[in-house]
Amino acid sequence: MTAPQYQASPGLWTLAWRRLIADRLAMISLVVVMAFFALMVASGTGLIAAKWADEVAVGYAPPSLFGTPATAVKNATSVSTTEPAENLYPGTVKDPLADEIAELKVQLGAQPGGGAKSSVGAGSTPLNDEIDYKDLDLGDLKVVDPIGAELAEILATTTAAVEKPRVDSLPFGADKWGHDVILKVIKGSETSIFVGLAAALVATIIGTILGAVSGYYGGWIDDFLNWFYSIFTAIPYLLLILAIAAVLNQKGVTTIVMILGLTGWTGVYRLVRAEYIKHSTREYVQAADAIGASNMRRMFIHIFPNVSHISLVQLSVHTVGFIKSEVILSFLGFGVPVDKVSWGSMLGEAQNELILGYWWQLAAATIAMAILVTAFSMFTDALRDALDPKIK
Amino acid sequence: MKATIKHLLVCAAIITTTSTTAAIAAKPTPDMNKVFHYQFPVAETGFDPAQANDLYSNTVMEALFEPMLTYDYLARPSKLAPRTADLPVMSEAGKVYTFKIRPGTLFTDDPAFKGKPRELVAEDYIFSIKRLADPKLHSQWRYLVEGKILGIAEAIKTATKSGKFDYNQKIAGLEALDKYTLKVTLEAPDFNYPYILAMPTFGALAREVVEHYGIDIPAHPVGTGPYRLDKWARSSLISLIANPVYRGHVWSYTAQEKGDEELVKAMQGKLLPTVGRIEIAIMEEDQARLLAFQSGELDMFQLEGPLAPKVMDGAVLKPEFAATGAKLSRIIDPEIQYPYLSTRDPTIGGMSKERIALRRAIFLAYDDTEEIRIVHNSQAEALDYPIPPGVVGYLPGYRSVNRTNLPLAKALLDKFGYKVGADGFRTTPQGKPLVIKYTSRPDSLGRQQEEMWQKTFNAIKIRMESDKKKFPEILKAEKACQLQMRTNRWIADFPDGDNFMQLFYSKNIGQSNNSCTDVPEYDALYEKAMVMPAGPERDKLYVDMARVLEYYGAHRISMARARNMVMQSHVMGYKKHPILLADWLYIDMEKPKGEKQ
Repeated sequence: MTAPQYQASPGLWTLAWRRLIADRLAMISLVVVMAFFALMVASGTGLIAAKWADEVAVGYAPPSLFGTPATAVKNATSVSTTEPAENLYPGTVKDPLADEIAELKVQLGAQPGGGAKSSVGAGSTPLNDEIDYKDLDLGDLKVVDPIGAELAEILATTTAAVEKPRVDSLPFGADKWGHDVILKVIKGSETSIFVGLAAALVATIIGTILGAVSGYYGGWIDDFLNWFYSIFTAIPYLLLILAIAAVLNQKGVTTIVMILGLTGWTGVYRLVRAEYIKHSTREYVQAADAIGASNMRRMFIHIFPNVSHISLVQLSVHTVGFIKSEVILSFLGFGVPVDKVSWGSMLGEAQNELILGYWWQLAAATIAMAILVTAFSMFTDALRDALDPKIK
Repeated sequence: MKATIKHLLVCAAIITTTSTTAAIAAKPTPDMNKVFHYQFPVAETGFDPAQANDLYSNTVMEALFEPMLTYDYLARPSKLAPRTADLPVMSEAGKVYTFKIRPGTLFTDDPAFKGKPRELVAEDYIFSIKRLADPKLHSQWRYLVEGKILGIAEAIKTATKSGKFDYNQKIAGLEALDKYTLKVTLEAPDFNYPYILAMPTFGALAREVVEHYGIDIPAHPVGTGPYRLDKWARSSLISLIANPVYRGHVWSYTAQEKGDEELVKAMQGKLLPTVGRIEIAIMEEDQARLLAFQSGELDMFQLEGPLAPKVMDGAVLKPEFAATGAKLSRIIDPEIQYPYLSTRDPTIGGMSKERIALRRAIFLAYDDTEEIRIVHNSQAEALDYPIPPGVVGYLPGYRSVNRTNLPLAKALLDKFGYKVGADGFRTTPQGKPLVIKYTSRPDSLGRQQEEMWQKTFNAIKIRMESDKKKFPEILKAEKACQLQMRTNRWIADFPDGDNFMQLFYSKNIGQSNNSCTDVPEYDALYEKAMVMPAGPERDKLYVDMARVLEYYGAHRISMARARNMVMQSHVMGYKKHPILLADWLYIDMEKPKGEKQ
């Protein structure tokens, strides 16, 4: 067997990949990042953390993994719910729903758990409020409950719901409503990572296209886009974000993606433009021109593969940046709506909790974010090194 | 010419009267070493009663200027008491009020008086009330006099046309019968007008001072109150010093509630003010206030909800805090917080049974005790009646028919055909999508209340849409009845039940009826009650009115917040008053420890 006379020299991507897998730190980071992505997908498809909104514990249940801090013991502050035994002021007006309610209440009252008085947190919900409706039998009624009859009927048939008992502590603690913090972090990672990735994609696409057009054509197009870029970057970043948020005036994940994507393209633009200026005069581009390739073909089929590593690195750099920006936006109240959770909204809630000594939500969100951002940054660093042919 | 002659005459009169009164009453002897350190969480704006409309400027003005009336320090519910005038004599069934101003009240010295003492007279009140009506001053308080006091509305019309308010004109409803007698005639009977006249807005200014300082008047408050402005660093420090010509005020009140005896024992018979100086610092951060109090920089501060669990254990101070000698004065604010559903809204409003059922089901599903516990850190009390404690007409023990009952809420929706669709949310009985828009402010409290409602709507499977608006936008939208649902709050302007019951009168839509409540049955009852003085007869009607609102599911009265004032052990005689703003005018201080007596 003879060895082949020549070896096909490996391409840019093969070389880069080899360099990357040789870097152990990069591989560890990649595994961490992939694990987060897997978490995001699993949470997004409802495999895990689908029940994050269930109130499983008492408010601010302490994290049992780290012992029970003294501050947490008094979490269920009592509310004075001294209910008088009788309604002292029946009034003389008639409930229009009186009949319905009375009927329903009779039926509900027959159910187990019906007679409970307290509605706060424990046991069953009170249904047997015969006191309120007894007054309807008074002789001198003037005001009528318009739906009294229906209410009576309902109360005759409905069963009392028994609330699940809540636990006193959770491995990672609970927030004020009693949500499990670890599930909240996972659900939050879904929003935060998705926003980071999607916004980075938007920003990179805008930046790459504008940069390509600007660098390739030059002339007045370049001047115009440069001028636009200068104005855009002259506005302080956070102010720009808040201004766009105010203009969009709508809450939601898409809005955040748009805000971050529309403000974040400038860095990509600058780098890609420089590359295109460099490449557009190279021989291989002139050759393509000579065989009659169109501008578009030269820009995106010939030049782009040679500068795409820039876009790729920028994509990951921006993902990290935007995960942080989402946190800031949500913290400032421009972020996710109330039915969603993100790391930023968790940090926002933690503001008030921290002075009271409830540190676990803050800790969980920051630790998760720190791990992801660090791993992602290190991976991006390694990726940049691997893709740069000059570094060997 | 005329004015100067009159002025000279007034001065001559003052000199004679002051010499006589000084001989009778002892002068207060404030101790300049007693300095009361206090704070505001929000900066003041300025000290012109006509122009300042924020709580904190008004608080300071209550110490500087004097309306004719004030409140009894210990009486609950709040009761009017004389200040510069005796309690008014009412005539013509609540249309005319005659005030007798006590002679010998002096304005504090000012260059505008050219070195002469200046006595407070009925004309000063007339002038000060006219200022509220002056279109040039854009007073937020104009509504308190326009259309209320006879002749003011016409004067405003003339002034708007001519561009200048004539302060020399006669107003039919404001008459000085003699130097010390003021007769106020209203356009229509109003039993509550004396409460209005007790607001710091109706404090007396002297005309020559206003003319002397012109546009700079907010920085030159010259009044007859127990204190005068000494130093003022805007938005940072307000320093008040005892007014040397103040007549003095004898602390003489009767104990009414538990704990009052102690105050009475410590304070009875003292001639106030005894505290020489009051320094008010602006501290915006909750944490900063607490730390300043703990380090002894503050003698008293208001504890806000977010920080309450650090200092309080439910309704009392934590033992470790009480051990330092700190004291607490806690009251339930004379306010109501009530989520409402607009009865005028095209999708949820109306008086058909299915709409009523929808609204009531939403309120039945809401757990306000949870909001108190979690959102307000237990610093609020559940309330079912539209009139809160401390206000005339409050009925303890009243219970709503729409108290939390989730199974009933669900059953009610099922019964009236609000079926759960394929997407897991209910539709209208007609099968159309049902979405309820909850409006809140983009702040931390707004978000937490929104979270509460999101939970509630999820529990009864109704889709909720979030709507964030800044406060001025909310008010604008409410005046035009554009909001579907919001958690509104109303704090008493004056301590009478009417101030709360008028909130739901349909003729007040566009003014104070922010929830656009429009229930004809309620209106009929309200019109009967509005001409009645406070008393059991009116209470009977009020109970019916409260029931009507519950039956039609217009809103659910849910709570009133607690106000916690925490003070150092050396502050004596303080009790939070539900209406008075500068209730620290009634205190004395022990000398701080370590200082030589």
